[in-house]
This record gives sequence, structure tokens and C-alpha cells, in this order.
Amino acid sequence: MLIGVISMVDDASITDLMATKKPNLQLRSKVLGKIGDHKPYDCFQCIRCTSGCPSMKMLELKPHEIVSLVKLGFVEEVINSGIIWTCAQCLTCKERCPQEVAPVDLILALRNLAVETEAKVPESYLRNVSSILETGFILKPQPTITRNLEKMDREKLGLPRIPKPNEKFKANFMKALETF
Amino acid sequence: MRVSAYWGCVIPNVEYAYEMSVREILPKLDVELVDLENVSCCGLPVRSVNAYASLYLSARNLALAEKTGLKDLLVTCNGCHLTLSEAMHFLNHDEKLRGKVNSLLREEDLEYKGFIRIWHLIDLLHDKIKEETIQKSMKKPLKNLKLASHPGCHTIRPSRLGRIENDPENPGKMDDLIRLLGATSVDYPEKLDCCGALLLWSHRDVAFTFAGLKIKAVQEQGFDGLVVSCPACHLVFDARQKAAGVTVGSKLNLPVVYYSQLLGTAMGIEEEKLGLHLNRSPVDELIEKMG
Repeated sequence: MLIGVISMVDDASITDLMATKKPNLQLRSKVLGKIGDHKPYDCFQCIRCTSGCPSMKMLELKPHEIVSLVKLGFVEEVINSGIIWTCAQCLTCKERCPQEVAPVDLILALRNLAVETEAKVPESYLRNVSSILETGFILKPQPTITRNLEKMDREKLGLPRIPKPNEKFKANFMKALETF
Repeated sequence: MRVSAYWGCVIPNVEYAYEMSVREILPKLDVELVDLENVSCCGLPVRSVNAYASLYLSARNLALAEKTGLKDLLVTCNGCHLTLSEAMHFLNHDEKLRGKVNSLLREEDLEYKGFIRIWHLIDLLHDKIKEETIQKSMKKPLKNLKLASHPGCHTIRPSRLGRIENDPENPGKMDDLIRLLGATSVDYPEKLDCCGALLLWSHRDVAFTFAGLKIKAVQEQGFDGLVVSCPACHLVFDARQKAAGVTVGSKLNLPVVYYSQLLGTAMGIEEEKLGLHLNRSPVDELIEKMG
């Protein structure tokens, strides 16, 4: 069976997940340690998650397949394939799973592991983190215009100043980021 | 009623109309907002990078809200509402984790104690404020309007956590609130479809496809507009509606408004105070219909 996954990180590569791969049990227990009391081993592949997944329609994300691959220990292949970054985090899989497997939480744990193992990660996610370090938020106040093309900002709109986290925040956030 | 207000990243930095309209309507319903100092991002974007760092951000914001002494916290963004609610769940059910996070927070003279109750605008209006209070505040009911509601994913799921709706497959609180204003809210097949906003960080075109397909469906069913209660959903449905239309190959022109803008209009508040001049979708038609 060919399970081709197109990597969005570099658009050209196609990873054949099932081509003579060896399970990595160490990485598997690492992922399982990140998902709290969810139980991927209780998954009986009913595929309710994949049936309701909006990213399945557009990007061929199959949550049940991710669960299965992790169970089998093909963790490296999953985190390097780019498929984990196609999840829109709508949580439908978590809601509808009869076994409390929560595929979305598994996907988020795999994303964390991708960062930890320095696999390819979409830049925006890392940019968000550095922006939070810098200002506390992922965005700076954006200038805007009305439909009549009048320039506006918070002050002109009568909105109060945005709060700013204090200096200690930066150091603590850094500390938290170094904890996996 | 006094509540502390947490606005997150998207509302105060881009989606000004939501903040403006919420700040206008709530005092008219005897809700006083207390802004929080020193807060940061809720942690949602960091969940994909480092779950612990995300939890630290959430716990820190919750601790800052608790520092005001107020028991009720208003979180108007669906994404922040989910992230903070989940963090509360983790912290309340795992003492070891809570101790670990609190030892970090103590360096900032903060502590998460766990006495706070999180509200979203929709359940605050639906469950906390009396119907009569809202009705009394209204100057002109919104007649002859057929609206579609978009509850958004992050305030309805996962139901096991306890979300603002009772039934995750059939949410209805926003519809009740729309009907309270005199307008019609009808179910449509795409009601639960995701807006796609979180894919903006990795698959921009697909995010626009999600949004475009939903707008197209709502438009084709003859609705006068789409009502939202989340800044991320509003961003892709309203500000990026043109781009979404290009992506799905359709001319989209559906008015998209926040529920707070709708309620504000029914209260007789001026358009500009509700930020209705900032919407990118063709809301003028809708405003005209609301008379």
C-alpha cells in the first residue's frame, strides 16, 4: 500500500511512509508521554475522525492513519512528512471519537516533537513564538482603513492602550520553552 | 456585574470592530469590563510548538485575571476561550503540573488558584444576562432579516471539557440570541464547517478555500448575512473574503458581522461606534435592511 504524503515544507518531496521503515519505539514512547490520558491503543479504526476531518477533503489528512502509524512506531516518518501541519484544529475528531483517542492532541504532540527533534516546521509557528517573546503577542497593532479609505488606528477608534507583559515574562517564557 | 476582560492577540491588534462593539454593548446591559494589565497571548499558537510553554502563557493570564479578585472572566475570542479553558482543566486536574507551573509564576508574584469562571460573549448574553434586560436595551428590533450563524469550532468542542454550548453537534445559543433581536436564524448544512483560519500559518490557500466554500454556500442559500463571534473566523470571512472568493473561483459578496455589532445596532448605537465602518464585506446592504 502506498501512502504518499506531500510535504508542504518543501513542496517537491513525496515520502513513502511504508517503504521498509523500522519502528522507533523510543520516539513512540516520547509521543505517548505527551498526550496525557488519551489512549491511542484503544483506537479500533472506525474512521469517524477521518470522515469528519475538513483537512481530509483538501489536504488528505487522515487522522486514523496518524493514530495507527504512531501505534506502530513510525513516528519519525510522520513528523518529517509535513502531514501533521495540515490539521486545522477544528477538534471534530476529538469530539466524535468513541474511544477518547483525540487524534488532534496526538497531532499537536507530534508537532511538539517535530520542534524538539529539529524537523522541518512551518516558519510562521516559530515567528509567532519570537513575536510573543518580543511583545507578548503574535501581532503588533495593524493600521487599518474604513470602507471610505480613511486611515484608522486604536487611538483614533477610541480604544485604550494594549497591555504589555513585564520584563520578567520574557525570562520565564524562555524557561518554559526549554521544558519539553 | 463586574467582569475582567481578556482580549487576546487578534482582537486588539486587527479586529478592532469586535472590541469596539463589545465595549459599547455590555455597559448598556450593566456589565462593567475591567481590563487586565500585563497579559500576553493566550498560548494557542504555541501549542503546536511546546505544550508546556503554551500552558505557562494560559496559566499566567488566568493568574493575572484572578489577581483582580473578580470571579468572572470574559474571553471574547473562541481560540483564547478554548486554550484558557483547556489550561484550567489541566491545572485543576493535575496537582503536580499545577505546582510546576505555579513555581514558575511565583517568580512573577503570581499564582493560579483556580477560582475563576470563564465566559464567552455568547454564553454571557445567553445564560447570565436576562432576556428582558437585553430586550429592554433594544431600540429597534431587526425585522425581515434572515441570518446564518457561525458558532465556530473552539467554543463548541470538545464537549467533554464543558463548552459554551450544550450540544456540540447542534449548537443553538447564537441562534437564540439572533432571534431575540427579531431577526430569523435558520439552520444550514454548512453551519458547523470550520473557517480554516488556523491553516493561515501553514496552508494559506487552503484556509481561503475553507472560508470561501462556506461563504459561497451561505450566499447561495439566500441569507442576508453571516453572524460570527470569533475574530479569527471574522478575519477570513470578512477581511479576506475577496481572497477567499478568488481561491474558490466565485464572486463573493456576503455581509459578515459580529453578533455584538448586530446587538449594538438593535440597541440604536451609531454604526461607527460599533466599528461597522471597518468591516470589509459589503455590510452596507445589511445596515440598510436593518433600517
